[in-house]
Amino acid sequence: MIPSDHFTRFYNEVFKFLASQGEVDLQAYWLTISAHQERHCLELFKTKGLQGMKEYWDKIAVEENCGLECVVYEDYFEARMSRCPSLTKAMDNDAGLMPRYCDHCPGWVVPLLEKAGFFPVFDVKSRTEPACEFRVYKTQEALLRHEGRR
Amino acid sequence: MRYQETGGLHLDFHGATNTTIDYVADKYGVEALRDIFFKVGRDVYKDIREHLARGDAAELVKHWHHFLDREGADYSVETTADGARLTMRQCPAVRHVKTLGLKLSGHFCEQTEHVNRGLCDGTGFEIVTERAGEGSCVQTLRRRAHHDPQ
Repeated sequence: MIPSDHFTRFYNEVFKFLASQGEVDLQAYWLTISAHQERHCLELFKTKGLQGMKEYWDKIAVEENCGLECVVYEDYFEARMSRCPSLTKAMDNDAGLMPRYCDHCPGWVVPLLEKAGFFPVFDVKSRTEPACEFRVYKTQEALLRHEGRR
Repeated sequence: MRYQETGGLHLDFHGATNTTIDYVADKYGVEALRDIFFKVGRDVYKDIREHLARGDAAELVKHWHHFLDREGADYSVETTADGARLTMRQCPAVRHVKTLGLKLSGHFCEQTEHVNRGLCDGTGFEIVTERAGEGSCVQTLRRRAHHDPQ
C-alpha cells in the first residue's frame, strides 16, 4: 500500500511518465481525475454553490494539513493557499519534482467547476513555491468585473 | 525516517490511486504501471532502499508501523531470522476504496508488490508478497539467496 500521505509523490511519478508520452497524455489524465473527483464535490458545488466550495476546501485543509484560507464573497469564492502540502511533499522527495506538478490542480479543478456552472481563475504564482490563489466566480460578468481590476 | 507525516489524513487519495491504476493499465499497459510503482519504491523511498543495501531493515519496519498505524490498519509485524514479516489482515487502502463505492481495480495490489520490488532493488533483500484474500496479504522481507552488490 502506498500510504495516503504519499499519494502526491506517486502522483508526481505518474506525471513524469505521462509527460514522457506527451502533453495530450497529461491533459487527458487530469480530465480523468476531474471526472473521478466529481463524486466528491460536483453535487455539492451545484447545490450549495460558493458555500459548498468553502465546505469542500475547508475539509481538504484539515485532512491534507494545508495552510489554506477560504472566503465566500457576494459573487465569488476565494481560496488563498499559503502552504500547499501537495507541492511541499512533491518537492521534499528523493525522486525529484516533476517541473509542472502544480498544473494538475487547475487541470482537474477547472473542468469540474465549469461543469458545475462556475467561472474559475487560477494564479499558480510559482511552480516551486507552495502558495497559490484561485477564485471562482458565479457569473462571467462578475469574472470580467473583478479580474479587469486586478 | 525520511518521511514521517503527522496530522490530518486524506484517505480519499486511495480512490484516486485506484482510478489512476486502471487508467494507466488500460491506456499504456500493465508494464507501464508496474514501472511507475517500481520507481516509487526505488526513488521516492531511496532512503529505505539504502538502509536495506547496508543490511538494515529497521527503517522499512518503522515505515510500516508509522503509516499503517496512521491509517488504522489491522496488521502485525514480526522480526524473523533474516528480515521481517508483515501480516496485513485488513488493508486500509482496499477498505477505503470500497467505502467510496468504487470497483476495486484488479491491479490494485500491484502497488504493494512493485513498490516492494523497487525498495529492494540492488540490495541483499527481497520482499515476497503473498495475497491472502481481498485486503489481506503477507509481505516477507528476507535475504536473497544470491546477491551481487551493485
